[in-house]
Amino acid sequence: MKQITLTVDGKEVKGREGDTVLDVCQANGFDVPTLCHFKGLTSVGACRMCVVDIEGERRINPACTYPARDGLVVQTKTETLERYRRLMLELMFTERNHLCMFCEQSGDCELQKMAYRYQMDNVRYPYTFPSQPLDPSTDAIAVDHNRCILCGRCVRACAQIEANHTLDFSKRGWKTMVAADLGQLLGESSCTLCGACMQVCPTGAVFSKLSIYKGRTAECQKTDTVCPICGVGCELRVFSKDNNVILIQAPEPAQPRGALCKEGRFGLLRNGHLRVASPLIRDRHGRQSESTLDEALEAAAEKLKAAGRGSTAGVVSSRLPGETLSLFDNFVRDVLGSDCIDTCDGRSFRVIAQGIKQFHGKRKGLDIECGAEEILQADCILLVGADPLKTHPVIGALIRRALDERKAKLVVVNVERDVFPLWSTLWLKPRAGSEGAVLSGLSKSIIDNGLVKTKKTPAELIQSQRRYWTEEPVHSTGVDPEKIDAAARMYAEAENAVIIYGEGLLERNDSNLVTLLLNLADLTGNQAGSHLRVLSLKPHCNSRGAWDLGIADKEIPRGKVNGLYLLLGEEQGSERLQSWLRGMDFLIVQASYQSPVTSMADIVLPSPTWAEREPGEFISMDGRIYESRPVVSPADGVLQDREILVRLSKKLGHRLTPR
Amino acid sequence: MAKPKIATAWLAGCAGCHMSFLDIDEAIIEVAKLVEITASPITDFKEFPAVDVGIVEGAVNTTDNVEVVHKLRHACKILMAWGDCACFGGIPTMRNMFDKNELLRRAFVETESTAKGRIPSSDELPRLLDQCKPVHNVVKVDCFVPGCPPSAKAIHYALVELLNGRIPVLPAEMMKFD
Repeated sequence: MKQITLTVDGKEVKGREGDTVLDVCQANGFDVPTLCHFKGLTSVGACRMCVVDIEGERRINPACTYPARDGLVVQTKTETLERYRRLMLELMFTERNHLCMFCEQSGDCELQKMAYRYQMDNVRYPYTFPSQPLDPSTDAIAVDHNRCILCGRCVRACAQIEANHTLDFSKRGWKTMVAADLGQLLGESSCTLCGACMQVCPTGAVFSKLSIYKGRTAECQKTDTVCPICGVGCELRVFSKDNNVILIQAPEPAQPRGALCKEGRFGLLRNGHLRVASPLIRDRHGRQSESTLDEALEAAAEKLKAAGRGSTAGVVSSRLPGETLSLFDNFVRDVLGSDCIDTCDGRSFRVIAQGIKQFHGKRKGLDIECGAEEILQADCILLVGADPLKTHPVIGALIRRALDERKAKLVVVNVERDVFPLWSTLWLKPRAGSEGAVLSGLSKSIIDNGLVKTKKTPAELIQSQRRYWTEEPVHSTGVDPEKIDAAARMYAEAENAVIIYGEGLLERNDSNLVTLLLNLADLTGNQAGSHLRVLSLKPHCNSRGAWDLGIADKEIPRGKVNGLYLLLGEEQGSERLQSWLRGMDFLIVQASYQSPVTSMADIVLPSPTWAEREPGEFISMDGRIYESRPVVSPADGVLQDREILVRLSKKLGHRLTPR
Repeated sequence: MAKPKIATAWLAGCAGCHMSFLDIDEAIIEVAKLVEITASPITDFKEFPAVDVGIVEGAVNTTDNVEVVHKLRHACKILMAWGDCACFGGIPTMRNMFDKNELLRRAFVETESTAKGRIPSSDELPRLLDQCKPVHNVVKVDCFVPGCPPSAKAIHYALVELLNGRIPVLPAEMMKFD
């Protein structure tokens, strides 16, 4: 980009073409006050705090919307400007009821800080004392219109970060209000509770009900870590005070991966499950009773010794860091002498891995998939058997952004429902089990209509792909063949078409379906570098890490083992897992929370929560590596998972060394 | 030279600002050496003599508040507003979001603990104004020390500035609205 030269406050400074005057000022260290501006969101010039004097202009102009150009002479700090800024501030204070002494955000409020900066010790204009509503209708976010300065940050965050467009302005002039949908209460609106509006709000107008009156951010310890829930791998900034987690924010909310979801921002603060507070041992009468850790480890060691080497399987949650997973792998293979090891979500991996292997003919692994950022570049998205709004809401936000920013088309293939109602371009609804026929139908349609875009010879491609095609005719899938042709055309004619698939497809346990999707991308040349524009939604925050370690390579054969060591962490354990456990002779569980699984266990050992866990490595579903950090110190009597494994191994006569 | 005289008044507010004034601790001895405190809720003298500095805490909420603040304004050369109520209106102005009659009914008749309540209407009693206001909406105010309450440090700073012949404006780092 072309460099430009401006004069700011008599100093020559450089900027780039396309910058605003504010961008140049901020990049060069000039402290221009702002309220409505938020880094990464578009600028609208609503608050007028950033007004500057530009030589040749008849009036003062907001720096945030004034395009910088070569030769501009800008003043940022004249007496007139400072007078106008204070005037604007005073008008903002008269417009609504900004009473700091009982405002939740007092101390964290940008409006208040600005008033201090301008030494606003009184307001010269009459107050309007409007009677404004308070909207506490959601269980996480409350909106107090008394505190609103109509800067529009929340409206822009809703549109540009979450791309949900729930918030907007209603009415005009001094009657303007921030409104959800058509004026509904937030709790009755289309709001996803992603909380972006709350984080960007400069005043106390949008605030978290889970964090109020627990402390100012300045009094809190700030820890950057990674979200411990799904596979997206969102970075979190966690605020804690007196060993309590108080508030969770995104470090850079307006960056491409800065969105958080309801679970990441609020769910982690409000976990309804009861902790496993002490080790439990089941006695002769079948009752679980509390014990010391040493007793529980002794009992576990006895069980494992009695069962003998090689007869106990190990299953681990892929929500745990790589270091723990790797030690668990050693524990099962070396200490328990068993090659029966899996993750709770291992089946998904085997379907994906086998599908990729069939595509390649060799085992290249998950690297073939693209990064989640590709979604933002997409002009067509094929969403197969996935419900990102439920399972990976941040991916849902990225999809909505592509629909918004790229005018992308969205084709949903789902046997149950259109997972993006109002947004999807097409919904193909195959009968359950006939997804293969629909996906084959898409490939065939692309070939038949001459839409193949690839360097390979089509004949060669078709030859290699044919064997995964389902011979079930399209008309028996329940999907109109014309719809399949239309979807095929949308997908094949797009420049950057991304395929996203998830649990709904993987639960068919058919790797051919994965191969069919990879073939579709291959057929249409949808490659980004060495990656195909295909992304599977992996269930947990370290699924990829666990799978890369080879923990989930082989399914545990039914009937081969009679005991199970389950490192469950914060997972609750699926129904499928529970029904499998019922057949076991004995069960040892290491878990953070009480669940049906812990109540089935013979021995329960307490596990730390995400906030207490030692630092570790996580790999997001698209292969990014993150470092997690502990936020608070563990609850009394809770040891790190690895420490428990080491102590138990010692009791079994083995030395297990964490790397 | 005679010591400068100070008078203070307490309008619609919680007395927190006066408490904060007493919180300047031993510095109050130094202040007492330098100034003479005349009529004040602290001394309990009711009539304002002619003073150099008048200090007012609280918002203007009733006809009595209006009378007192006018008397003080006439009695002093410099009028200083203490606290968020005097400077901005503060908590008492929350009543402005409701209708005055509705408010009186709620307070004197409909309170859960009141039986056969009625709105006081004696001529002896001051009347509620239509709106509660910051002091400078009623009389001219020369300087402001916001805070709820203003810190003892801010109060001390403002008094010392005045004693040194300057109109105090709190520096940004000393400003606090809560």
